[in-house]
Amino acid sequence: MSTLIIIDQPPYGSWEGREALDMAFSLAAFDQPVTLMFCGAGVNWLRKGQNAGKVGQKSVERNLAAAPIFGVEALLACTEACNRYGLTQTDLLDGVTVTAVGPELTSRYDHVTFAG
Amino acid sequence: MINRLIEQTETPARAGVFTLVITGAPYSSQAPQTALHFASAAVAAGKKIDRVFLYGDGVHLASSLAAPPSDETDLARSWSEFLLANQIPAVACIASALRRGLVNEAESKRYQLPAANLREPFEIAGLGEWVDSVASDSRILYFHRGS
Amino acid sequence: MPDRTLHILNKPPEHYRHHLCLEAIGPEDGLVFIENGVLAVVQLPTSAPDRWYALAPDLEARGLIGQIGEDRVISFDDMVELTATAGKVISW
Repeated sequence: MSTLIIIDQPPYGSWEGREALDMAFSLAAFDQPVTLMFCGAGVNWLRKGQNAGKVGQKSVERNLAAAPIFGVEALLACTEACNRYGLTQTDLLDGVTVTAVGPELTSRYDHVTFAG
Repeated sequence: MINRLIEQTETPARAGVFTLVITGAPYSSQAPQTALHFASAAVAAGKKIDRVFLYGDGVHLASSLAAPPSDETDLARSWSEFLLANQIPAVACIASALRRGLVNEAESKRYQLPAANLREPFEIAGLGEWVDSVASDSRILYFHRGS
Repeated sequence: MPDRTLHILNKPPEHYRHHLCLEAIGPEDGLVFIENGVLAVVQLPTSAPDRWYALAPDLEARGLIGQIGEDRVISFDDMVELTATAGKVISW
């Protein structure tokens, strides 16, 4: 069962994205194939140079950098959303693949979900 | 209606078993009500629901301390009666629950909290329960908030 | 013949995820509008697939039950059947 987890909420403004990451890491911990896809405002999770200390949160950059080590198969980002938020490949965390959303993408996974 | 619906689905029922994941909170979203109507219809149709999993804001559904006005549906009570009547296991994700102040006796003791508020028959467990549904190819339906 | 996906959409037309759902729908997929999603029937998006339905209690609640043909209106029983038989279900 391959799973695609989509994050479309921006970082720090809600807990949905973190809880989506927890879902991804849990699947990976049990050797279930999982890919994370960032869409809409969710692509802002992938911007380099986040420092969330002053909003009283932990930066997610490190968690995301560790994703491949924990067994998350891929980090995907929506092309259109990256354009909208001015994110070029050099602004994005390492290891992110930019791709379009469409039936071809979701059909590659047995199970597609959001954290909330 | 049903004949037409069956006709339009050519793939066989690979999933005879449902898992329902509720992420929308009661009174902030319609998710728990929609999920309950769906669950009742599924049980009436002879489908099996292997578990109900509360995640994120959905854990508020397991509170024993919600006291809605008497002319509104008591969502936590309705859900808990449905679960008990149909012997369906229900789990609130531990990480989501602890963050939001939903604890059973054991967690209340562990963290030295002044009370416990997890309603019967809900239990507290990890995301492994959800992973089990994914891995066992249950038909997982998610009930998110609608705004 | 690839498995068909059933999309369940509970967000209103202005919601980002409503757009995302419509982008991800293939022509062979099914779409069920529920909760706030039923508001889409007032002005059906051109990208809706041929097989789309809306949940009766949510239409009724919002005064929209008469706005669409009866063959588009489904009950929870129908929704159970659709979700049980689809190749895959995505809840948006």
